[in-house]
Amino acid sequence: MKIIEWGVLIVNYLFLGGLSAGLFFVSAIATFLYKLDEPSPYTRIARLGALMAPWPVMIGCLLLIFDLGRWYHFYKLFLHLRLVSPMSIGSWLLVLFNLVALVNCYAWLTERQRNDLFAKLPRRLAFLGKFNYDIDHWRRRLAFAGMPISVGVGIYTGVLLGAVQSRPFWNTNLVAQLFLFSALSTGCAALILGLAGREQPVQEMKLLYGFDICFMVLEFFIVLPYLIHGQLSVQAVQDSLKLILGGPFTILFWVFFLGLGLLTPLVIELRELVPVVVSNREFHYNRILAATTALLILGGGFLLRYIFVYAGQMSAMQ
Amino acid sequence: MAARPKRYAMVVDSKKCINCKACVVACRAENSVPLAYSRPWMNEETRGVWPKLMAAFAPEQCHQCDHPACVRVCPTGASHHRPDGIVVVNEAECVGCRYCMIACPYDARFFREDKGVVEKCDFCVHRLERGQLPACVETCPSKVRVFGDLNDPKSKLAELLSDRQYRVKKPEAGTGPQIYYLI
Repeated sequence: MKIIEWGVLIVNYLFLGGLSAGLFFVSAIATFLYKLDEPSPYTRIARLGALMAPWPVMIGCLLLIFDLGRWYHFYKLFLHLRLVSPMSIGSWLLVLFNLVALVNCYAWLTERQRNDLFAKLPRRLAFLGKFNYDIDHWRRRLAFAGMPISVGVGIYTGVLLGAVQSRPFWNTNLVAQLFLFSALSTGCAALILGLAGREQPVQEMKLLYGFDICFMVLEFFIVLPYLIHGQLSVQAVQDSLKLILGGPFTILFWVFFLGLGLLTPLVIELRELVPVVVSNREFHYNRILAATTALLILGGGFLLRYIFVYAGQMSAMQ
Repeated sequence: MAARPKRYAMVVDSKKCINCKACVVACRAENSVPLAYSRPWMNEETRGVWPKLMAAFAPEQCHQCDHPACVRVCPTGASHHRPDGIVVVNEAECVGCRYCMIACPYDARFFREDKGVVEKCDFCVHRLERGQLPACVETCPSKVRVFGDLNDPKSKLAELLSDRQYRVKKPEAGTGPQIYYLI
């Protein structure tokens, strides 16, 4: 059996990085779905997404740093830019994404929140008060600029694994796509969870369910060719797939990821949204069902990373 | 005329190997590798049923690839390719991300928990610079390993590769391994 070098810290990092990318992306789309001078329910999605987006990826980056053999040397990642190394590109991409997500988060603070934030600064940092600018008008520009970066972060987490030729379980472009759509779907789920506690977020939920269904359907139709192509590929790839087809990750993959983490929430969301779209029925918003669905998606997203990180390292060329 | 650049490689005649592991011990002593780790290792294979048994031993170490996956994925350039073909790790630049270990198709690298860096065989570059052979080559009692310059047609290595049939491990990885196993 192969030695597992990347463990649970990396699993968490890949999940949290994807979650932030998804939060930012969905929030950014919502930013363009309303007229600036009219109140819209979509501002709640845009605001919540923008406020939540920077934090998971920041925690993820810290986990990534503490996973290094010499975490105090992490700055060396930023003394080089190696375009052939997915990790080098990813490190710079994460810095860029963190910056854009933070500025975007600041842009979505209300005036009162901004004033409260600066009022809480310790006396030594009081000079930062001069940065108390209103940058509301930057929101759309930040969303526009940050969207490709968030997609980049979502894809990169998969490219990091997919670029390793010696691990047949990973070495396909489908992993990058799978991780991207899973990231976008977990972002939607986090927003559903965040809005579930609010007062009747019906319009918001309809939009989020719609996005989420698209992302999960795409994710499902990447899992299928991943399995089919793998079975039709060379022996090393077929052998590596045995890890989820009869091997140690079979139940985790089929029951907990695909069954509970992908198909169950997909069916629930379709059941909720399809009658509204097709038969023009009223949307029956159920807070507990929405929160449960979101938790299942988040759990599925985490499991996907867990299965891929561990199974990939256990796979090898013959 | 400019001197031809060197391209170090190794030939392994595994039929001569008696699995004494002197190479492993010599390497540990030469490179101060703790007991928990090893740069070269032995592959053992037994076939058949007693009394008709066959045991085969084949030493292995970093294949000093022409297109090393470890060098490609390294985010800091700590893993790099010397002009003489040897793949080395610059410990000062290594952050210990272990991406190279995951990328290596031969699992030829290991993580030194005590130092927080990745290590591997480097053909004993410090000995080569003194005009000596790698420790594993020098110590082998049955002369399993032949070390030399591929670009020197008069070398024993080049002679063996032109006279004998050989194979490399996992050529499908596309990394261009430079440990040649005589058949």
